[in-house]
Amino acid sequence: MSKLKLIIAREYMSMVGRKSFIIMTILIPILMIACILLPIGIGYLNHEGSETENVAVIDETGRYASAIEDTDLFHFVPLSGDTVTDPHQFYTNAGESLTAMVIIPRDVDSTHQVTIYSDKTVNASLKMQINRQMSDTLTRAHVASYGVPNLQKMIDESSVDVDVKSVKWGEDGSETESSSEIAMGIGFALSFLIYMFVLMYGAMIMNGVIEEKTNRIVEVIVSSCKPFQLMMGKIIGVALVGLTQLAIWTVVMLALSMVAGSFIGLASGDIFSMGNDPAALQAALQKSGNADMTQIIQAILGVNYLQIFTCFVFYFVGGYLLYAALFAAFGSAVDQAADASQFTTPIIIIMIIALYAGMACIENPNGPMALWCSMIPFTSPIVMMIRLPYDVPFWQLALSIFLLFATAAATVWIASRIYRTGILLYGKKTSYKDIFRWLRH
Amino acid sequence: MDNFIEIRDVVKQYDGHLALDHVSMNVPQGCIYGLLGPNGAGKTSLIRIINRITHQDSGEVLLDGRTITDDDVAHIGYLPEERGLYKKMKVGEQIVYLARLKGMEKATAYNEMQQWLDRFDLGEWRDKKLEALSKGMQQKVQFIATVIHRPRLLIFDEPFSGFDPVNADQLKVEILRLKQEGSTVLFSTHNMESVEAICERITLINHSRVVLEGLVDEIRQQHKQGILAVELPKGEALEANDALYTILPQQPGDHETQVRLNAGVTMHDAIAWLNDHRNLCGFHEILPSMHDIFINTVKDQNHEQA
Repeated sequence: MSKLKLIIAREYMSMVGRKSFIIMTILIPILMIACILLPIGIGYLNHEGSETENVAVIDETGRYASAIEDTDLFHFVPLSGDTVTDPHQFYTNAGESLTAMVIIPRDVDSTHQVTIYSDKTVNASLKMQINRQMSDTLTRAHVASYGVPNLQKMIDESSVDVDVKSVKWGEDGSETESSSEIAMGIGFALSFLIYMFVLMYGAMIMNGVIEEKTNRIVEVIVSSCKPFQLMMGKIIGVALVGLTQLAIWTVVMLALSMVAGSFIGLASGDIFSMGNDPAALQAALQKSGNADMTQIIQAILGVNYLQIFTCFVFYFVGGYLLYAALFAAFGSAVDQAADASQFTTPIIIIMIIALYAGMACIENPNGPMALWCSMIPFTSPIVMMIRLPYDVPFWQLALSIFLLFATAAATVWIASRIYRTGILLYGKKTSYKDIFRWLRH
Repeated sequence: MDNFIEIRDVVKQYDGHLALDHVSMNVPQGCIYGLLGPNGAGKTSLIRIINRITHQDSGEVLLDGRTITDDDVAHIGYLPEERGLYKKMKVGEQIVYLARLKGMEKATAYNEMQQWLDRFDLGEWRDKKLEALSKGMQQKVQFIATVIHRPRLLIFDEPFSGFDPVNADQLKVEILRLKQEGSTVLFSTHNMESVEAICERITLINHSRVVLEGLVDEIRQQHKQGILAVELPKGEALEANDALYTILPQQPGDHETQVRLNAGVTMHDAIAWLNDHRNLCGFHEILPSMHDIFINTVKDQNHEQA
């Protein structure tokens, strides 16, 4: 067994065996699901717990109060403007039973203004309700005022919602229903995965290097192997740990989607196997009788997965190597994790810029910024993944991947030079100047 | 005796600071060799070069008469001054891992590990994480990791620091046993007592240069200053003799009197005279300790440089 393999195996086993790995593997998906479910849950609780509030509506026109309908949250009590002469007195007398009071003034048809009074700050959802219902009612009243028979009906019937379908032509003219949104969504999700992976495992590499340095074991190890082997062993070992984690999540997700698939009347296994047999797929989709679902599934199947996943592998490996080497080099330059921030902060800033550039490229995927950011190796893994569905010319893709790998190789080389000096130096605060000097040795 | 390690004219420079200035040193096969020098003299730099951790700017390192290569690290066992192991790794796994990095087969490494742990009474700790062990036990584990692959060259940087006397003694016994089995041992230390006790030859480095080299006994002979310890019957005092010697200040409780012989007076003359005139109970020549030689040499050299 070569020394590099031994080091990789140790790195891998020492991390996979740790409790923190098992906890993180379970916890991260739970946190992600929680992030999705929490807003829904909070919304539910918001409605569930509260009681219906009474809102008095004083209608000075006497025409609109009855048009305001009750909702889950609000019960509207129409009152005539003649019966309530002093609204404030009335509100005070009602006490707790009345939350707010809406006054529809006599001249509402021309001013389009109503007022909500309350002794508390007026609740946004009440304001929204009144706005929506009154706008609607007044619009209808307006339409009716023209005196054209059935005008409202004509307007309702002539309202059209256009459905835009996108179809992609293959080279032989064959048509596939495509959805650039879905392709881009997948691209974005994958590039986000690269981003998360690089940050999480990059930090892990850095801490590993610092740990070996502060433990002083590094001198024993490098008396048995080359510093480069130790550094690469760590980078590769940690990458394998991350891939193991991804593999676990993928298996769990596939299993879950099988379960979910059976709920929508189609086992997801069938979808994947039928991807090659459009007729069978069509039949199955007809049978399921769910039109929206059919459209979505067709769009999902129209994405060029081969291209996306091939590029994902390239950008994942290249981007990881590039950043991991930097983290290893910076870890070697400091004595404790707390000192590392001067080096890690620039890395994190670059990665955040890359993420924002990626988001901006959604607006204009073929613009100059998208082009440049998909060429610069520090941002290309994220930006190019998002551009992919918009038919990036092959030469751009090839150039971008070439630049990424060339830079990654150069970075690994530079990092190994910093690393071999840094790991043996103690007790000195390292500056960027020192690092440049080590490079020249 | 053949030279096992030959250092020829090695120069190493860091950031404008000269760490090793044309250093040469020969370590004979099967010898226990002391590399001495004050802190910052260049000992660690030299050791790291022999270990292939860093590389010299110029000069040569030969092992068995040929230029040392990266593969030779399999024949070297190195115990650095700053001890370190993986705290979260199990004792047994850790030793086997380090042995395999040195090129041992897994099964052999495992058997050897077992034997060594038993020899040091650490057998029951094999599957415990290192951090559960006491400091002394961790040091023993580190020692095992250093010697498990039966290296032909053992390099110990300050091996006795951090050991209590009992463990230090056990360590000394093990080192002598390894020498018996044919290993060559290179000590880097400023603990002069251990040098006198076990080193045969030394090289003293100061300010990046070799300032003294040779057999310990010869060096002590060369540096002797003609001091004689004389023992007389109880209650008798030695009288002055300006022709032969000067009496050195006596320490309370000494039952001997130390005298420095005048220039030109031989040991033989002095003893013959004393024997004729006094009722001598005993006498012996005082050789300078390595400690004194070390301090004087370093002081002289620093003085010259100033």
